[in-house]
Amino acid sequence: MSRDKFHRIILPLKDKLFRLAWSIVRDSAEAEDIVQDMFVKLWSKIDEWDNIENLEAYCFRATKNLALDRMESLEIRKTENISPELESSTFTDRVTPFNKLEETERYTLLYNCIDQLPEKQKMVFQLREIEGMSYREIADTLQMSEEMVKVSLFRARGRLKKQLSGRRE
Amino acid sequence: MNNGRITELLDKYWACETSISEEMELQEFFRSGNVPEELQPYVTLFTYRRDLQALKPGDGFEERLVGSIRKAERQNRYITIRIFEPLLRIAASVLLVTGIGISVYLFSRQNSQVFAETYNDPEAAMQQATLALDKLSRAIQATEEASLKSLEQLDNLELDWSEIDSLSTEIVPIDPDFNKDVKPGRL
Repeated sequence: MSRDKFHRIILPLKDKLFRLAWSIVRDSAEAEDIVQDMFVKLWSKIDEWDNIENLEAYCFRATKNLALDRMESLEIRKTENISPELESSTFTDRVTPFNKLEETERYTLLYNCIDQLPEKQKMVFQLREIEGMSYREIADTLQMSEEMVKVSLFRARGRLKKQLSGRRE
Repeated sequence: MNNGRITELLDKYWACETSISEEMELQEFFRSGNVPEELQPYVTLFTYRRDLQALKPGDGFEERLVGSIRKAERQNRYITIRIFEPLLRIAASVLLVTGIGISVYLFSRQNSQVFAETYNDPEAAMQQATLALDKLSRAIQATEEASLKSLEQLDNLELDWSEIDSLSTEIVPIDPDFNKDVKPGRL
């Protein structure tokens, strides 16, 4: 039964968990390691799976915590420059070198702004904007009320709006 | 899409009142390239997510993942055995010593039963011994009486003992030299 859960619920989450880890450490190899660690730790608690109310949310929380721990222990410097894997997949519709440079600067600015968000706001923002989760799903994942999710997202978006528009002036 | 609609959606977006589909609508608009100058600062905010959504682990990640779980499982089993190894040794030693102890105890108990002193009280022992000897004496006496009785009965039969004795004289005694003349080849 647990093995079935693993293949049906947990394993398909790997990409989402990877992106969550990546949003914290901004490094693909580290993000893969984090997800791998999370899976191994989760597997070691296979007997407890039936007691976990929302296994999916549990995986997100565990990945987030592991990524934050990894950040602390390795003191990974959050990127000031956009990572190579994103750079290669971005800006395909912009042709001139000037535009590309301009876009790179904008992305760097955006990531810096996101990285400066408080942890809770950053997580809510990530799950809503990238994973397209509903407020209810985010609330379950991060173990907070729906109201708190909305407040955090409101603050995160407000901060980004202010920073992005303010830098331009 | 007209600017009025975009302004309306953006206002809802900042107020966290947009649905997922409305947010997708905004993403499409900002990716279209026809973004007014005043909204340019927010382009990356709505376009970066598609790139991030496409971000995936490297090839073969799932295999590595499953492999690492299996490896951890094997290590756990090995660690469990290693943790319990000293205990297993102790348990085996205890079992061995206990086994030897029980064997020695049973063996000595079995042997000591032959010579075991079953009475602590000498008087009781004497009483039991006297009782046993008395029983033995009575048994001997009974058999003696039975034998005498049998002899008396034989006397009362008034047998002719001379005839009985004559039977013994007709039996030819065995001659030790009887086979002396027999040749070996005829046997």
